[in-house]
Amino acid sequence: MSTAAYAGGSRIAPAGSALLRRLSSIQPVKLLVIGFAVFILLALIAYPLALLIGYSFIDAQGNLTFDTFEKAFNRRGMWQATVNSTVLVAFVTAGACALGIPLAWIVARTDAPGKILVTLAAGISFVIPSFISVVSWIFLAAPNSGYLNKLAIEYLGFAHAPFNIMSFGGLVFIEIIGVYPLVFFAVSAALHNVDASNEQAARVLGAGRLRTTLTITLPLVRPAILSAIILVMLDALSSFGAPAAIGTMANFSVITTKIYDLLKFPPQFNYAAAVAMPIMVFTAVSLLIQRYTIRAENFRTLTGKATSDQITTLGRWRWVAGGFCVFVVFATAVLPIGALLLLSVLSSFGADVTLSNLVTKHYALIFDPDFVARGSIINSLLLALATATVCAGLGLVLGWVVERIKFFGRELITFLVMIAYGFPSIAYAVGILMGYVNLFYGTLTLILIAYAGKLLPIAFVLIRNGIQQLSTDLEEAARISGAGWLRGVRDVTFPLVRGAVGIAWVLVFSLSLRELSMSAILSQADTQVMPTVVIQFIEDGAIELAAALSVVIVTVSLSILGLIRFFSRKKTALVS
Amino acid sequence: MNFYSPAADIVDTAPATDQPARLELRNLRKRLGDTAAVNGIDLKVAPGESVVLLGPSGCGKTTTLRMVAGFLQPEDGEIHLDGVLASNASFALPPEKRHLGMVFQTYAVWPHKTVAENVGYGLVVAGKKRAEIDREVAAVLDLVQLGDLAKRYPSELSGGQQQRVALARALATKPSLLLLDEPLSNLDASLRQEMRFELRALQKRIGITTLYVTHDQDEALVLADRVVVMNKGRIEQVGTPEEVYRTPASRFVGNFVGTANLLEGTIVNVDVAAGRVSVALDAGDIASARAPAGWLAAAAPGQRATLLLRPEDIRFDRPERPDQQTGLEVRFGSASFLGSRYELQLTAGDTPLRVQSRTPGTFVDGRARLWFRPNSAWVVA
Repeated sequence: MSTAAYAGGSRIAPAGSALLRRLSSIQPVKLLVIGFAVFILLALIAYPLALLIGYSFIDAQGNLTFDTFEKAFNRRGMWQATVNSTVLVAFVTAGACALGIPLAWIVARTDAPGKILVTLAAGISFVIPSFISVVSWIFLAAPNSGYLNKLAIEYLGFAHAPFNIMSFGGLVFIEIIGVYPLVFFAVSAALHNVDASNEQAARVLGAGRLRTTLTITLPLVRPAILSAIILVMLDALSSFGAPAAIGTMANFSVITTKIYDLLKFPPQFNYAAAVAMPIMVFTAVSLLIQRYTIRAENFRTLTGKATSDQITTLGRWRWVAGGFCVFVVFATAVLPIGALLLLSVLSSFGADVTLSNLVTKHYALIFDPDFVARGSIINSLLLALATATVCAGLGLVLGWVVERIKFFGRELITFLVMIAYGFPSIAYAVGILMGYVNLFYGTLTLILIAYAGKLLPIAFVLIRNGIQQLSTDLEEAARISGAGWLRGVRDVTFPLVRGAVGIAWVLVFSLSLRELSMSAILSQADTQVMPTVVIQFIEDGAIELAAALSVVIVTVSLSILGLIRFFSRKKTALVS
Repeated sequence: MNFYSPAADIVDTAPATDQPARLELRNLRKRLGDTAAVNGIDLKVAPGESVVLLGPSGCGKTTTLRMVAGFLQPEDGEIHLDGVLASNASFALPPEKRHLGMVFQTYAVWPHKTVAENVGYGLVVAGKKRAEIDREVAAVLDLVQLGDLAKRYPSELSGGQQQRVALARALATKPSLLLLDEPLSNLDASLRQEMRFELRALQKRIGITTLYVTHDQDEALVLADRVVVMNKGRIEQVGTPEEVYRTPASRFVGNFVGTANLLEGTIVNVDVAAGRVSVALDAGDIASARAPAGWLAAAAPGQRATLLLRPEDIRFDRPERPDQQTGLEVRFGSASFLGSRYELQLTAGDTPLRVQSRTPGTFVDGRARLWFRPNSAWVVA
């Protein structure tokens, strides 16, 4: 090895092999991988959505028509369902804000006791799907045999049962508990990020604490509040689990349950597609509002950390606020979880809570090889495994494409993926059914396609952020060292975003386990999953079995989410 | 096995005419967004030569470098490496096929690989044998004085050490051309100065051909065989560090490379044979100055001219054979003591003047007469 090594001539292929060099400039492996990923994306998201829109606007003869809408909405009960959905959205949004915003302020900006518990409880509420809340609250507040009602009548002297979960009000309550964490987390994160200097500047100019809060702090977190409101509205509008469970018992419908009814035998795809259309339009409008108005506002710098002098001392009110916190923790987390656990080991719903009435027979039945529940557990786990893997892989390739290649299509990819995110599950499932029922009728593959399309955005956003934080220099250094595209991704990009990919995998896995609305439409006798079996149990009145299976779902979800700590502890992707 | 043979310590950098240029840019153009980032650049880099692209941010120097590396494709023009076409508007050899080394501004040292793995990566990709890789990694780590840190991870290294890892990684594959993109800009000032000289010594020692991008004029002067001063996507001047500093081709170059005092005046006499003009300065005094040949050919008495003078070339003492008649009368503004010198802010007529002097000078009624170092005044176009 000598100086000559550097001073010496070229090692670039001589001009003679010009054709080979031209071929290598096309980079076939890269094209193939990216092309395949984009193809999957189109098949997963664009195709079913196109079908959905097509079916609702085009009649059997292939003409453009609005008749389908007219007929669909003239069906009996459809207008009532639409009104119900609207009222539900209004109440749930108002309730979630009324609960979430004050809680966020208390947790982020006051010295009230019990703040950590609130964050924990909000996390638990967020993890528990609403159809599982229903199981808990039936146990607690069913009109006759709910245990809270019993307590109220026996010990507090109520003449009638004060609570009735099997009502429209009950549904509103359960939905609020499910979605208020969205508001809470968004607003408290924003409050944490308002730099103290913003408020200090106002204080120095003579504004009092209250005035500063109203004129400086709140306007600064307004984008966060608006974003959360939109998410809550979309969530309430497209919710299916709790409305299905409670609606059946209390005899009312919302749009999503109507869509489900339209798909029962004989399925009426075009009506279902037409009924899903208002949800789609509302979703699209909301996302546009979010993109163009709120985002523009959001670019105002929210950086920094809350400091101790931003903490308001509440004095006597401290204990009122603390009491409120404890009440919320109790009502939204402790009671439901406790009820679920208790119900799953109680000999029968309604029996007195005594030691002799505690049994394990429900769990025995759940895991019985001849019973439907065991098969559904296996199906759910298989699906979650497959969905998480597909989403993580696809998210990695698409995230890389969008972050690293400058071409027109990258906007389109982001757009498609985000559409799938905002899209109501129930409508999306209708599209999947229309697109793939002939190919995959009654198979887990059909459900996998739906899960993967719907959950891809979560993996995409997480992994894309990971790649965004990775300096392009790191990959370019690999290329300069002689590694081709695929090799560079394998040796440099993937190891460095492994943490983000792992977290995405875990989240998608956990969300797959609890997915109900698409599963309800797409699963057949052989392809039942845990959530559909829970709903079946509720409808059959086997509420104890529903509780036992729900405990399985919650346990697996929470323990797999615990893996996130493992992935975030890895010191990958730290260096930019 | 030594990385360099001591006998050939210094490699002759004179361009060898029989060899093709290591790098040749022909009329290179690239738009980024709406601006022409690189707007027609021609440049040849001879084997063993160290060329520095110098210019303010946005002048197109990094864009040029990235086109050479293959991360950007030119819209017009051609890039040749060792006489072989590497890029034009319709063809681009991928970066991994160009056999280059590159040091990035952010170092881009992979945090998940040890120092040795970082440095050996290019050799692994090239399919070299384990033993050979180990040997070459050890040699190149010795070269950058990192021999003991081979097993460490980058997070355990200082910025300067990471910088050396990046350099070692770029050198390990024995590239035909080494690209450096502002490699020192993330280091603190004293380390930066030290690394400049070290890089220059290394470059001379192993004779590697280098294309170096920086906005720091001192760095450029230290590291370059030739400096390419760029502005707004074009080359303003190519020359040795001395040429660029002492005889700048334009006001821009004069101002960007060093501090420039610009004195306006009217030509009174042109001496084409001597390559000089006499200029009656607006601030008073008549001074004789050197001028570029092309400009002289068109110069005539009565025309306007601008003289460039470096702060260190203006003095309080009258030289034996001054280029001036009376000395330049200046008015005192302010003086700062900078340790090795005084930095004086003066005015000559209406023109601000910056002067570096060993002494604070003597001013009578706030006035003094100053003299130019003989042969230092230069006419800028």
